[in-house]
Amino acid sequence: MLLVMILLYIPIIFLVVYSFNGGTIMSGWGGFSFVHYQELFADTRLLKILLDTFILAISSATIAAFIGTVGALFLDSLQNKKTLNTFLSLNNVLLVSPDVTIGVSFLILFTILGFSLGFVSVLISHIAFSIPIVLLMVLPRLREMDNTLVMAARDLGAKRGTILSQIVIPEIWPSIMAGFLLALTYSLDDFAVTFFVTGNGFSTLSVEIYSRARQGVSLEINALSALMFAVSLLLVFAYYLYTTYTDKKARLTK
Amino acid sequence: MDKKVLPVIEFKNVGLSFDNNEILKNVSFEIEAGQFYTLLGPSGSGKSTILNLISGQLSADAGEILFDGKVINNIPAESRRVNTVFQNYALFPNMTVFDNVAFGPKLKKMPKDKIKAKVREMLALVKLEAFENRAIQELSGGQKQRVAIARALANEPDVLLLDEPLSALDYKLRKQMQSELRAIQKRLGITFIFVTHDQEEALAMSDWIFIMNDGKIQQNGTPVDIYDEPINHFVADFIGESNIVNGVMKQDYLVSFVNKDFENLDAGMKPNEPVEVVLRPEDLDLVPVEQGKLIVTIADQSFRGDFYEITAIDDDQNEWKVQATNPSTVGARVGLDFGPEDIHVMRFNESEDDFDARIESYEGE
Repeated sequence: MLLVMILLYIPIIFLVVYSFNGGTIMSGWGGFSFVHYQELFADTRLLKILLDTFILAISSATIAAFIGTVGALFLDSLQNKKTLNTFLSLNNVLLVSPDVTIGVSFLILFTILGFSLGFVSVLISHIAFSIPIVLLMVLPRLREMDNTLVMAARDLGAKRGTILSQIVIPEIWPSIMAGFLLALTYSLDDFAVTFFVTGNGFSTLSVEIYSRARQGVSLEINALSALMFAVSLLLVFAYYLYTTYTDKKARLTK
Repeated sequence: MDKKVLPVIEFKNVGLSFDNNEILKNVSFEIEAGQFYTLLGPSGSGKSTILNLISGQLSADAGEILFDGKVINNIPAESRRVNTVFQNYALFPNMTVFDNVAFGPKLKKMPKDKIKAKVREMLALVKLEAFENRAIQELSGGQKQRVAIARALANEPDVLLLDEPLSALDYKLRKQMQSELRAIQKRLGITFIFVTHDQEEALAMSDWIFIMNDGKIQQNGTPVDIYDEPINHFVADFIGESNIVNGVMKQDYLVSFVNKDFENLDAGMKPNEPVEVVLRPEDLDLVPVEQGKLIVTIADQSFRGDFYEITAIDDDQNEWKVQATNPSTVGARVGLDFGPEDIHVMRFNESEDDFDARIESYEGE
C-alpha cells in the first residue's frame, strides 16, 4: 500500500521540485530558484484565467447546491417509491456517465439552440454535472432526519415555510456544505466538459494548461500546478476539519 | 334533567385505514375538559393513531372529530388548540432550551418580554429554571422530557397530548415524572390525554382509561372499574395479572367452573350460558387442603420483593397464579380459597353498552 502511495505521489513531488528549477526545461536541473513563480505572477493572462476558474467554481457550486437541495427536498416528499427510484436512477446515470459524453451533448445542445459559447455555457454545464453530486449528499441526510421534528414544529403552529427555514435546512446544512465543497472541487478539476463548451476567449485553468502543454510544458505551469496542489491540500484539510466537527456535534445530539 | 357538560373532544364513528389495513374501526368517544385520560393498549392497537387524529397529523377516512362542539376534520395541525409531547421528545437540536420553549409563542407573534416571561414560567413549572441557555445535547433524558413538556405547554393548549412520553426513562425517574405530570395537570386544570402501553402507569395516573385493542375501544372507565370488572378476556389479561378459566353460568349468582359450583355476585345472563371466569392472583389464598375450595399442587414459586408469586396446578391441569405474602413449598398439596366477591364472570362478545345495561339491571334492584 505504501509503495502504491509513493508511486502515486512521486510525479507530484517531481512536479513541485522542478517548479523551483533555475533552468527552463524538465530534463536538466539548473539550480534552485523562484524564477518560474516570478514569471507566473507576471503572466496576467494566466492570473485572469485562474480568477475566472475560481469564479466559475464558486458560482456553479453555489447554484448547484441550491438546485440540488431543492431537488432533494422534492424527491424526499415523494410518496411513491417507484417514482423516487426512477429519479434516483436517472441521477446516478448522470453521475457515472463520462465527462466527454456530457461535454459533447452540451455542445450539441448549445449549437442547436444557437447559444454562444463562453462563460455562461460553461457555467450551465458545470451546474448541470454538479447537481447530481449535491443531490447524492443531501438526500440521505433528509431521509435520515427525524420526521417527528417536522411534526413537532407543525404541532407548535409552524407553517411550511417556517418548518423549512428553521427546522429542515439547519438539520441538513452539513450535507449541503459537503455537496457544495465536492461540487467546487469537481468544477475546479473539470477539463473534458469545459473543453467542449467553452469559447469566446473564456478559458479555465485545466483547458489553458492543456493547450500550453501541446507546445511543450513550461516550468511556469509547474509552479502554477504546485500552487494548485497546495490549495487542494488546504481544501481537503478544511473538509476534514469540517466533517470531524459536524460528526462530533451529531454524536452529541444522539 | 342533568345539564350536560359539552365534551372538549368528541369522536363520532371515526375510521382510518392504511393500504387496506383498518387501523381504527368505527371509534366513538367523548373527552371532558380538565380530566386526565389514558389511552392504554399494546403497540399497534391504534392508540397513537387517535392522538395523531386529535393533533391533526393524520386525517380520518370516516366519521367526525369535534373540538368544543365544532367539526375539526379539515383544520390543519398548526391551527388546532392542542399540543403534543412526543415519545422521543423531538426537541429542535439546533436551538437552545429557551428557543425550543419559545418556538410556539414566537410563532404567535407575542411581544418579546411576554415570550421571555412565558418561557421562564414554563421552565419553572418543570423545574428547569437554570437551564434556559443550555444546548439540547447537554441535557439528560429526563431533562429533555421536561423541556418537551414545557415547550408543549408554552402554547397554552386546551388539551395536552402525551405520546408514551415516559417510556424511555428509567424506573425511578418514570415514577417521579408520573406524579409530577399528574401534579402539573391538576395545577393547570387542562385536559391531558396520555398514551401508554404500561398498565401500571395507566392505573396510577388516570381519571379515566380507554383500553384499546385491534383498532377498537374495548372498555372505558375509571381505573378501579376496569380492574375489578373487566369486560372480556383481553382486558382481564392486559390489566393486571389474572387467572381466566372457562365456566358455565348455571343461574343468577351461581357459576360452575373446574367441575364445581360456586356462589358469586354476577347475574343477568341466560341459564347455563358458557362464560369466562376471572380470579385475580392477589384474591386467592393458600389454605390447608381441607379448608380449600380447590385443591392444588405448588409447581413454582418466585420471590418478587413484596410478595411471592406462586404457580399452582389443580387436578384438571389448570394453572393458578397466586400472590402470597408467605412462602410455600414446591410440590406441596394445598387448598385454594376465595370468596363470592372475588369471582368475576365475563360473557363472550358482550358489548360495553350491554355490559353496562346488565350490571344496571341487577345492581339497581
